Amino acid sequence: MVDAITYDVVQVTLLSLYVSGSATILGSLIGVPLGAAVGLKEFGGKGLLKTITYTMYGFPPVISGLFIYYVFSRSGPLGDFGILFTPTAMILAQTLLVIPLVAGVTITSVSEVDKNIKNTVLSLGASDRQATFTVIKEAWVGVITAVMIGFGRAIAEVGAAYMVGGNIEGKTRVLTTSIMLETRMGHFEYAMGLGAVLLIVACGVFLFMRWLQERELL
Amino acid sequence: MKDKSPLVGVIVLAIVMILLIGSFAIPPSKQRLVLATTTSTQDSGLLDAILPDFESKSDCIVDVIAVGSGQAMEIGQNGDADVLLVHSPASEKQFVKDGYGTSRTLVAYNQFVIVGPTSDPAGITQAVNATDAFIRIYQNGTEGDAVFVSRGDLSGTHTKEKSVWVKAGLNISTFSDTWYFSTGQGMGAVLDITEQQTDKGYTLSDEATFYTRRETGIIPHLEILYQGDTLLFNQYSVIPVNPDRWPNVNATLATDFVNWLTSPDTQSMIGNFTDAFGHKLFVPNAGPGSAAETHRLSSQLQAAIAIRTD
Repeated sequence: MVDAITYDVVQVTLLSLYVSGSATILGSLIGVPLGAAVGLKEFGGKGLLKTITYTMYGFPPVISGLFIYYVFSRSGPLGDFGILFTPTAMILAQTLLVIPLVAGVTITSVSEVDKNIKNTVLSLGASDRQATFTVIKEAWVGVITAVMIGFGRAIAEVGAAYMVGGNIEGKTRVLTTSIMLETRMGHFEYAMGLGAVLLIVACGVFLFMRWLQERELL
Repeated sequence: MKDKSPLVGVIVLAIVMILLIGSFAIPPSKQRLVLATTTSTQDSGLLDAILPDFESKSDCIVDVIAVGSGQAMEIGQNGDADVLLVHSPASEKQFVKDGYGTSRTLVAYNQFVIVGPTSDPAGITQAVNATDAFIRIYQNGTEGDAVFVSRGDLSGTHTKEKSVWVKAGLNISTFSDTWYFSTGQGMGAVLDITEQQTDKGYTLSDEATFYTRRETGIIPHLEILYQGDTLLFNQYSVIPVNPDRWPNVNATLATDFVNWLTSPDTQSMIGNFTDAFGHKLFVPNAGPGSAAETHRLSSQLQAAIAIRTD
């Protein structure tokens, strides 16, 4: 190779973790309770809501990015916040992608928990909220899976990150957008190398979560 | 997961960790200038070479958003950038006329080149000018001997390509997709696709991207078959976004940027810039954008090409 990557790959990697990690946490804090509620309660339109959630698995990242772009552009309704082309905008766009995945997998997981468990807990005098919490605990492995899938989606996507982040060196450049940049510049080897870094990071996060799970910390 | 407290602990731990990572990942704030530009200025390495000088002189950080010229102007139109560095003259003039930009100042130029396979089935090395070359590709394309790969993404290069077809008296909408590929991709990807059209593929490319791709060995079968027509002139200009329309833009810093970019020192930096393979890619020509520019610039381009082909 004739020239080296001039930007700080460590910082790019940390930013990837920060953006996608935040989006996963935010998306899970919204998606898990949402999915649990939908999975446990019976109500009219539940089937439709589930269909919509599963459909959103296919939500294109660029569209999520465009949506956040229009909302937070200076010409958009929330332009005064000035968060476009910052990591915050990237977190929001990725959160939109994470929520349906986390919610959908949570719906499936809690639906598979024996309905009797909830009824039993309720008959023992638990409140509705306590009963829900018990069911989530029973479906815990599924919920963790949901969160991991959400993280996988966030760390791997490039469309939203590029659209609302802008791939600004030192500010909004993450692993996926630098892979795109290197590919565009014809540095295929660097792009592959950065892809390996991304997979190693993802592997580290998943191993860490499994480690927590095995020790029943999660 | 046995009781409630570890769960809360884990969530808190995760948030703390993320904030910790974030504090390392996000640099301290400084005065920032948002520059929306075309990909070729970034991908060629020009911006990396010259921007540090501006950043230290003006004590600021330039946030470079490298997208197609079309998208860059859309970002400017929405007030999301302070200044634009683009290469799509007709749309730029409209942009300023519509009041989205305050002024259009020429910065530097290079040329577009028509690239194709060494065997040159369309015979464009014999072409007398750019439109003649395009007509030859069209004729061979309809006969199945050539393929033209188009950007098809409203970028500066795509806009230029369309204008050459129009000048040649041909209507793109009548082109068959058996030989005219509208890809919607960036220049690098389009060159890769062209390379794969064995002994048939032609495209219009900016010099910078072609040389980078060529030297890294990704497109070994493509070469420049036609260049030198003033029609293929590629002018880069700088446009500050209008602060009357978007009060949030950093107009002072944008003006500083224009003045710096057109200053003699920066202009010679641009002229002396070479990519990683030693190609000089930009010819500085700072000056106001005007009706006379094409005439004035065409003689400059002829001179430059004469030097380069020596």
